[in-house]
Amino acid sequence: MKFIVSSTYLLKQLQVLGGVINNSNTLPILDNFLFDLKQNKLTVSASDLETTMSSVLNVDSDNEGVIAVPARLLLETLKTFPEQPLTFVVEDNNTVEISSNHGKYALAYADGAEFPKAVELANPSSTTILGDILATAINKTIFAAGNDDLRPVMSGVFFQFSPENLTFVATDAHKLVKYQREDVSASQVAEFIMPKKPLNLLKGILAGSESDVVIEYNDSNAKFSFDDTELICRLIDGKYPNYEAVIPKENPNMLTISRNQFLSSVRRVSIFSNKTTHQIRLKIAGAELNISAEDIDYSNRAEERLTCAYQGDDMQIGFNSRFLTEMLNNLTSDEVSLEMSLPNRAGILTPSDGLDEGEHVTMLVMPVMLNS
Amino acid sequence: MTKNILHLDLDTFFVSVERKLDSRLQGKPILVGGLSDRGVVAACSYETRGYGIHSGMPMKMAKELCPNAIRIKGNAGTYSKHSDEVTEIIKEYVPLFEKSSIDEFYADLSGMDRFFGSYKYASELRQRIIKETGLPISFGLSVNKVVSKVATGEAKPNNQLKIDYGLEKTFLAPLSIKKIPMVGDKTYQTLRNLGLRKVGTVQEMPMDVMQRVLGKNGTVIWKRANGIDHTPVIPFWERKSISNERTFDKDTIDVIKLRGLLIAMTENLAYQLRRGEKLTACIAVKIRYSDFNTYSKQMRIPYTSADHILIPKILELFKTLYNRRLLVRLIGIRFSHLVSGNYQINLFEDTEEALNLYQAMDHIRNRYGDKSVVRASAMGKNTIGRMHNPFNGQPPIVLAHRKQ
Repeated sequence: MKFIVSSTYLLKQLQVLGGVINNSNTLPILDNFLFDLKQNKLTVSASDLETTMSSVLNVDSDNEGVIAVPARLLLETLKTFPEQPLTFVVEDNNTVEISSNHGKYALAYADGAEFPKAVELANPSSTTILGDILATAINKTIFAAGNDDLRPVMSGVFFQFSPENLTFVATDAHKLVKYQREDVSASQVAEFIMPKKPLNLLKGILAGSESDVVIEYNDSNAKFSFDDTELICRLIDGKYPNYEAVIPKENPNMLTISRNQFLSSVRRVSIFSNKTTHQIRLKIAGAELNISAEDIDYSNRAEERLTCAYQGDDMQIGFNSRFLTEMLNNLTSDEVSLEMSLPNRAGILTPSDGLDEGEHVTMLVMPVMLNS
Repeated sequence: MTKNILHLDLDTFFVSVERKLDSRLQGKPILVGGLSDRGVVAACSYETRGYGIHSGMPMKMAKELCPNAIRIKGNAGTYSKHSDEVTEIIKEYVPLFEKSSIDEFYADLSGMDRFFGSYKYASELRQRIIKETGLPISFGLSVNKVVSKVATGEAKPNNQLKIDYGLEKTFLAPLSIKKIPMVGDKTYQTLRNLGLRKVGTVQEMPMDVMQRVLGKNGTVIWKRANGIDHTPVIPFWERKSISNERTFDKDTIDVIKLRGLLIAMTENLAYQLRRGEKLTACIAVKIRYSDFNTYSKQMRIPYTSADHILIPKILELFKTLYNRRLLVRLIGIRFSHLVSGNYQINLFEDTEEALNLYQAMDHIRNRYGDKSVVRASAMGKNTIGRMHNPFNGQPPIVLAHRKQ
């Protein structure tokens, strides 16, 4: 088995795939890239058993063969090369020899047959979506997903496809983001929960991408195909909580304010809040928003007044400032509106401008129970 | 700069308060504490000391030693009210003071000598407290907290003592090592076994010998014996945990009763958390069986102050902890890792009705007392300790012998 490939081209592809590989693996074979050569096509795969990603590279060769090459060693070597052709030759003594302009390097390889096979999806349904839209959808939602191992369903992003729209939801039970696109749709109704890791990989690769992504899915797995890359992952098993039921329908109190101004005030005030609970207090009366925080243990206190547009009753509500800053940071609009009903019910944050046609973002943040 | 630290201690505080309320008790032997068979003596008048009675002793034993003593159950609320009166007077006189327990105060009088004389000032303060509250009080004045405290102990009852600068070691030397704060029964025995009896002997020993015998504490005890102590007077006392426990009059194996009691305790402590705007992240359950073996188990949880999260977790801990088929003597719970904050509402688990109910219940408790509304399963468990706001910066009301 022998092939010639450009060093930077190979490095670029391997760095993307390398994101799949865990730092510590129970199965040693998973520390490798799988190289599957068929004449001019080299398919490189990486896997952590849950997620498998593979890319097809064009190389110069007339051989065939399958080997598993140590990932970390190969990546470290490739990083140091300036652009040049590299020749990979598989020797008899279980090593693969790489020849560069500078010299020769031999790596021990493992048998490609040991590498776990990616699952084949049985009777998948499929949807096509523009890469950039998918990346945006992930970006808007993933930060709200939880980290609780005890509630695995909340550690992923809920994909809800229907002929009318595509909906992406993430929540950790304290905050929730719902991102909906009405300009794209699926042929039939489908729902599944995607784990965070493959989504983070996709987000990185697909940002700004103009190519179409084909999403195939069944009950247990999902496959994302785009350009020369495929990503197959296992879905999170379980029933996603009924999030629609917890979004308050009637919110008579509505606050509209400049996002940047709100964000920087919350950030500043929260420096003075308790370092564990990050609790801040919003007092809204008339057209004035009062943001305050205090850390009793250190006698730190801060208070800011902002002018805002407000319709509704005067109210006082407490939030974890981390949630607010994360959400406000994630939005890009100039203005946001915060809809509220009662101090113990969710606040709904929505951008007032800057959205595409058919794009909807709803962010929910649960307050803390202030002593009245 | 040398400091002037004043230590004030109300003499037989609980007894003094009882005498103030009922003058017939003057000059009679009095015991304050739990009256049941399991009760202990919280305070005893000087008249009873001759019988060998001391605080911390089982009431049953004290009764046998001095059968004609008047025994009083006592009321923590009354005591803290009187303690607060004393605090008010001290607050007026001294800006920097520490209330280290219900009947003890430290005050920093450094710099006073230039204007008035610390001793004169302290004497005036003491006279004023005696005049206005009618409670006997003693004080010790010295360069640091430890020497002042020992001096107060020597001054008692109802007197005052000043240790002049430079004479701390001389003052401490002839005293028994038992007088050093921190030397309890165990340490006393260890030191006696080494042939040590007087503080003076400890002063002559090299520090590292003490360290080898008693570890880290050895260094501290050596320093204290030499009159060295740099702990500052801290005006605010911060709660690190809140707890509640109960010893049964009669050992029990009734699990339903135990669970009910745990629920009552949890409900009460959770209310204290909410009232003090605190959250807990570590909960613990403690069991003492009739054979005096004590077990406890703790658990980290996400920050919370909500009954419906804490109660199941406490019961879960109890279930894993209570595994010996033995009678239970004591049961208790503790919340620690406290931070200030309010309960973060959960999108899916908390309903508006439940939250409104909690708020309404807390509202009623704020107005009519913390036992005015309780869960049905916690009803009738009115014997759990009544707790005043634990987050007011004041020390908890503890029995004298449990003081650290």
